[in-house]
Amino acid sequence: MLLVSVNAAGFLGLSYEFRWEILFQHPYLGWLVEGILTTLKLSALAWLQALIIGVLVGAARTLPWRFLRAIGASYVELFRNIPLLVHLFFWYFAAPEVLPHAFQDWLVAHGIEFWSAVLGLGFYSGARFGEVFRAGIQAVPHSLIEASASTGLSTVQSYRFVVLPCAVRLLIPPLTGETLNLLKNSSLALTIGVAELTFMTRQVESYTARGLEAITAGTLIYLALCLVIAALMGRVERRLAIPGLIARGITPES
Amino acid sequence: MKRSAICLFAAALLVVFAAASGRAETTLEKINRTGVLVVGTRTGSPPFGFYNRQNEWVGFSIDLARLAHQKVEQKLGKQIKFELKETVPATRIPLLSSGAVDLIAGTMTITQSRRESVDFSIPFFVTGAQLLVKKGSRIRSLKDLEGKRLGAQQGSTNERIVREKWSKIRLVVFQDQPAAFTALAQGKIDAYTNDGVQLAGLKAKAPNSGNYQVVGDFFSYEPYGMAMRRDDPDFRLLVDLALMEAIEGGEYFRLYDKWFGPKGEVPYPLSPEVRVFLKYLVIPR
Amino acid sequence: MDWQVIPDNLGFLLKGLAVTLQLALMAMVLSFPLGTLAAMARLARRPWLHWPAVLYIELVRGVPLIMVIFWFYFFLPIATGRSLDNFTSALVAFIIFEGAYMAEIIRAGIQSVPRGQVDASLSTSLTTLQMMRYVILPQAFRNMLPSLVTQFIILFKDTSLAYIIGVIELTRAASIVSQREIRPFELYVFIAVVYWVFTFALSRLSRLLEIRLSHRA
Repeated sequence: MLLVSVNAAGFLGLSYEFRWEILFQHPYLGWLVEGILTTLKLSALAWLQALIIGVLVGAARTLPWRFLRAIGASYVELFRNIPLLVHLFFWYFAAPEVLPHAFQDWLVAHGIEFWSAVLGLGFYSGARFGEVFRAGIQAVPHSLIEASASTGLSTVQSYRFVVLPCAVRLLIPPLTGETLNLLKNSSLALTIGVAELTFMTRQVESYTARGLEAITAGTLIYLALCLVIAALMGRVERRLAIPGLIARGITPES
Repeated sequence: MKRSAICLFAAALLVVFAAASGRAETTLEKINRTGVLVVGTRTGSPPFGFYNRQNEWVGFSIDLARLAHQKVEQKLGKQIKFELKETVPATRIPLLSSGAVDLIAGTMTITQSRRESVDFSIPFFVTGAQLLVKKGSRIRSLKDLEGKRLGAQQGSTNERIVREKWSKIRLVVFQDQPAAFTALAQGKIDAYTNDGVQLAGLKAKAPNSGNYQVVGDFFSYEPYGMAMRRDDPDFRLLVDLALMEAIEGGEYFRLYDKWFGPKGEVPYPLSPEVRVFLKYLVIPR
Repeated sequence: MDWQVIPDNLGFLLKGLAVTLQLALMAMVLSFPLGTLAAMARLARRPWLHWPAVLYIELVRGVPLIMVIFWFYFFLPIATGRSLDNFTSALVAFIIFEGAYMAEIIRAGIQSVPRGQVDASLSTSLTTLQMMRYVILPQAFRNMLPSLVTQFIILFKDTSLAYIIGVIELTRAASIVSQREIRPFELYVFIAVVYWVFTFALSRLSRLLEIRLSHRA
């Protein structure tokens, strides 16, 4: 069997010697770890930004004031429909040009690549998170909203104490999906010079000419990160679950 | 009866597989089979491989690769298609090893460590790493860049040297030249490093070339060569002969003048030492 | 700001747009059969169908699109023994990538068809494949149409990633012009508008479809 499979590999024309130990040598292992940390930092900061924007936009789109709904809808339509790559190029190459020179110089000295990536990723994901929050709020049973109004809570108060807490429980599954998307999208930051994980796999590959090993490592690490995040959010969902609140299936696109 | 039939069948399979898994095919065999010579080159490195004002893909390295193409057609005795594919420092060796391209003709420096993965032709150009800065900058060498920001392309020799020997310099690494040059133009990096001739090309093509200067002594020796897969002596001989014939016959100098002469895309005069060096590369028949 | 750079290079930029559209349309059309097969395989009970489908779908959905593009850019030539141009490498990567996401949409669509339909078809002695083809899939398709349009919008935007391996689609065309002219603001705003116009039109179409379908159902 072994003979057949080895010969089969030759038959396919694959003449490649795997050398996995390269990945664990200095400095390549250090680079990969640095890449993982940068990816996590970038994703975490963008996630916070997207979360805040998402709550605001999602709420705005469901409040009874048309003006707010229009603003929320415009934000989502604008930021969601432009590719993330264009967002990143915009925040890195185009946007800083309108700032005063002194501020630009300060930014350049303080990691402009990283912060442009955070902004671009955050604003883009904010639009997608906004849709998740909107769907979550709209999925809150109407009876709850009416009940809170009948106890004399103002609109803002009922949002704060009833609607949003309820919506949060409902939207954790789609939010997990969008969070994973955010993590995967962070890889685009390499185009504006951020040394995140995908950048580092290319770096290892260009120094060692060991493409298969480097890309396999990168793939496995992303898979592992996604699994960890999905597991974490699953635990959060279980901790926050309100017994008796039936989770209805909702999708961000609805 | 059944058992021996199975053994016979398995043995036959092994023989078939063993016969099929012979040596990998050579580049000339591959070109002959597919009818295409795929050449990897640059799109943003004037005048070696770039898009001119008419948005056509042209360049000095591309013209030299065409000479090799002619020799391949001569040798194989049939028409072979000439195809260009973009490669950047980070992708060119993998693309060559995987068979996606057959010849890298761009701005690739011949180095000892690269010789472990690919083979090179004789050098067809000589330059060295320098710095591109904006006019008025006080940067004149790598030493002046300590604590400042230097742009480079991922996977290039310049990036490697700076990373290994000049750790006080803050490297900003881009995927391609357009991104790095725009960053320099906007002041996001204090200098951009690449081989001197490529910097001269960028400067020549920039909308206001007076705004940029190429500074610094060569902090590396960069002989450009064409790269091909290892252990492929026939193809390598063809490419070398094509280059030698061009140097001996004068076609090389005509092409050099076309791209680097006073009326060329990027004026970069051929120094007398390099001229002699190239002439001595032509071995006697 | 000098907006003249746009009309001066409009031909080149529009060629990039044409490549973007080509890439998106071909990838969408070709990934649909792949996604359908993967979805049906995932729903199958036989382990030799189920587990490879799960592996494919979860593996592809767990990594960034850039990684998938790199995988195919480097390894397709090794596997096929021929060199492929950038467009084809990108197209194959997109088909494989979209196939996994389509599979999930189609699976949701199939599972949204009422169980009664399955029972009814089996009771009229249709084979599983016939049932799929004539009863389940047509209904599922109607249910998942809005999600499919949304996925197409996402794919249309994702074509910009083919930039990384040198495909001259819209974003890369803008980048090439930007290097020559150093006008990133004008160029990136222009392509942002172009992308926006297309995706906005598509999302309006999706909204229309949703409304029409809910009237019918």
